[in-house]
Amino acid sequence: MTNNAGYALEMIDISKSFGNTVALSNVDLRVKKGTIHGLIGQNGAGKSTLMKILSGLYPSGTYSGQIVIDGKPVELSSTLDAQSVGISIVPQETTVADTLTVAENILLPEMSRSPLKPYNKSGVIAKVAEFLKFYSIPLQPEMLTSSLTLAEKQILMIARAIYMQPEVLVLDEPTSSLTGDEIKNLFAVVRTLKSLEITTVFITHKMDEIIELCDLITILRDGKIVCQVDRVDFKVDELVSHMIGRDLGELYPQQQLTSQDAPVVLSVRDLVVGNPSKPGQPLLEPFSFELRKGEILGIGGLVGSGRTEIVKSLFGHYKILGGEVQVLGNSIKTRSVSESISHGFGYITEDRKAEGLFFNLAIKQNLTASIIDAITKISFLLKGAEKSRARVYLESLQVKPQNLDEPISSLSGGNQQKVVLGKSLITDPKILMLDEPTKGVDIASKAEIYRTITDYAKDGNSVLLISSEFPELLAMSHRVIVFSGGRFVGEISGGLENEKDLMLMAIGAVKEDSN
Amino acid sequence: MTVTKTRDISENFKASSLRIAFLIAVVGIFALQNPAFINGASILSVIQGMVFVGIAAVFLTILITSGEFDISVGANAALAGTLAAQYVVGGEGVADDRSPWSGLLVGIAVGTVIGLINAFVVLVGNVPSFIATIAMLFIAKSLATYLPGGKPIPGYRDSWEAAGINFRESFFLKNFSIIVLILMIVIGHIVLKRTHFGVVVSSIGSNKEAARTSGTQVKRVKTILFALTGAGAGLAGAVSVLHFGSIYFSLGQGWELTAIAAIVLGGTSLFGGKGSVIGLLFGLALMQTIASGMVAVGIDPWWQTVITGGIVLATLVVEQLRRKVT
Repeated sequence: MTNNAGYALEMIDISKSFGNTVALSNVDLRVKKGTIHGLIGQNGAGKSTLMKILSGLYPSGTYSGQIVIDGKPVELSSTLDAQSVGISIVPQETTVADTLTVAENILLPEMSRSPLKPYNKSGVIAKVAEFLKFYSIPLQPEMLTSSLTLAEKQILMIARAIYMQPEVLVLDEPTSSLTGDEIKNLFAVVRTLKSLEITTVFITHKMDEIIELCDLITILRDGKIVCQVDRVDFKVDELVSHMIGRDLGELYPQQQLTSQDAPVVLSVRDLVVGNPSKPGQPLLEPFSFELRKGEILGIGGLVGSGRTEIVKSLFGHYKILGGEVQVLGNSIKTRSVSESISHGFGYITEDRKAEGLFFNLAIKQNLTASIIDAITKISFLLKGAEKSRARVYLESLQVKPQNLDEPISSLSGGNQQKVVLGKSLITDPKILMLDEPTKGVDIASKAEIYRTITDYAKDGNSVLLISSEFPELLAMSHRVIVFSGGRFVGEISGGLENEKDLMLMAIGAVKEDSN
Repeated sequence: MTVTKTRDISENFKASSLRIAFLIAVVGIFALQNPAFINGASILSVIQGMVFVGIAAVFLTILITSGEFDISVGANAALAGTLAAQYVVGGEGVADDRSPWSGLLVGIAVGTVIGLINAFVVLVGNVPSFIATIAMLFIAKSLATYLPGGKPIPGYRDSWEAAGINFRESFFLKNFSIIVLILMIVIGHIVLKRTHFGVVVSSIGSNKEAARTSGTQVKRVKTILFALTGAGAGLAGAVSVLHFGSIYFSLGQGWELTAIAAIVLGGTSLFGGKGSVIGLLFGLALMQTIASGMVAVGIDPWWQTVITGGIVLATLVVEQLRRKVT
């Protein structure tokens, strides 16, 4: 069959509303058989809603429109229904059972369909080993899932979906926690699937992935299809402006130059961070750096380079075995998070789900969670103060909806991240440490976050920024210090033109002195 | 990667050997204090002592593996045993023509109904199982005391004679409870480790979303597990009435704690995802050895519950610490 033969999946005239909010209006998505079809759009554009309809999570009848698989109309009311017509969806969140082996996780859908059948551990392992080998998926079937890295778990979820031999495989932001090599592995698997005539719908924010992998893309904006673009017509600028409805040039704010004689706010000298699981052993090699007033200093490196550990050590998460940290010339010791905050540090976690937010509370309570003393009087909450303090950040960050009483759980990822940022800024830290501040965030929210960070530095504060997206890191930072495998490898100045150098350093191909 | 694999295996092996060594050490300590501790009669009493709570704990182990809880097993057993005895004996304490075996079916039926009510409250009412089953504990326990008017129900033994069976001469009947425990352990082990269902149960306890995205109907599986746990508890109550020939006031009292202690000692995670029925057998043996051993060396039996509680706490702390490291 050629690519023009027909559609593996058609979603025709799909509309869905939640109360008064229209999430999707008259969306037509047609995916040709055997292609890799990109689906892009900002958070809130309707991608997740569309995929929840496709996966049966929003059952047939709760929306209008028609789903057609391989020419046959279907009605989907559950995940099981979707699976039985050949749709396998790999969600963005890691959903694997940690206490089971890799093989058990992959066979889970099969086992769940035939619960009464006997379970033969070695037979299952052999079966899965063969499957993994066929698709060259780098996983060991007998390994316990809890010992896998986050990236390996992501691959495991994809393997589980492929094992069901779907007609249509949907990957929702599959690369958000993967590093360069792992992304290559994933792409190789997707291409193998293509050669086997399996159709893939690839949802992503990352333009380079679209351009490398996809045959065709559909762009969603505000619940409507903007356009469908063929591979030959891919032009990054155009795609992005379709997606956000404006130009890319506006995305990153212009950084002011910091002067070399701006005072040093933070000075780290030969810091040795203790390994929490091996007492007395260092976690990373000793490192040193300086951060000036008004400066945004990037910390570059791949996942596992030690960049998160560096900022966490300054925030009191690890035992310090040696070296010195000075804030404004005074030597400090940080043994706990509260001490670190009192020294003027603020930290924004890369994992907002687990560490960043109180999901069952409203926006205002989240924004003011760290300044509870300032909005209470003899232990009584001053509701007015809570509101007025929270409102400042609700407005300056343009959180949507602009409603302080809205629970966090109903916000999109991008807006949740804005609240995380606001929750830290409200404590007025002098040194703000940001770990992947735009992970899983749509482009419009990204622009807000970039602008906020830049303004904050202009106001005379300092920022340590971690990001896996090298263009973002380079565009936002004045300087970038680069780590690889727990070791400092060098420093480069900011600016998009240095992306290749940064990559070479991050993968350990360039030594500091050869620069 | 292969290194990790061997580490997993050897850790499992290490954990089981550690448990067995611990059991032997405990037996040894008591035997040193009182050599009479190791003789046929006392070993038999150890086994007999753990039998009833053991029967109730098998499916509870599987339920806990799925991430849910049932605190009401003891009260369930008491109510099921009471109703079983009343059904067979007939209320006035006089044997009528109902077969004593029918008591087992009544016990299982009552237990299953209680289990299904628990499932309904937890899964439809969205009440945490810990809370829901504590409420059930009070309800079932009170009913079990109220229904027979606070009096024992003698006369179950007579119903064997009415059925033409000599209870005292029958090896099978005298050891019936032990046979049931062994059967339950075998069934429980096969269900958990040798069927697809067992893997699905573990996956639910480990990560409900993973199970759901794999097409598992989580609530249906949990309903089955609550019903099975209830049935097991009811069976345990009925078997104990059958064994002792009467309902007694303390039936099922404190089972929840003993059962949970034995389950966690056996390596089942109270957080779900990992369970072992064979481990439960070890846990039961250890708990009962400590209980009997304390009697044998003359420690006040009231300390027994203190030690049971202490063991549960210690095991939980150790498990949490291990979770943190990995």
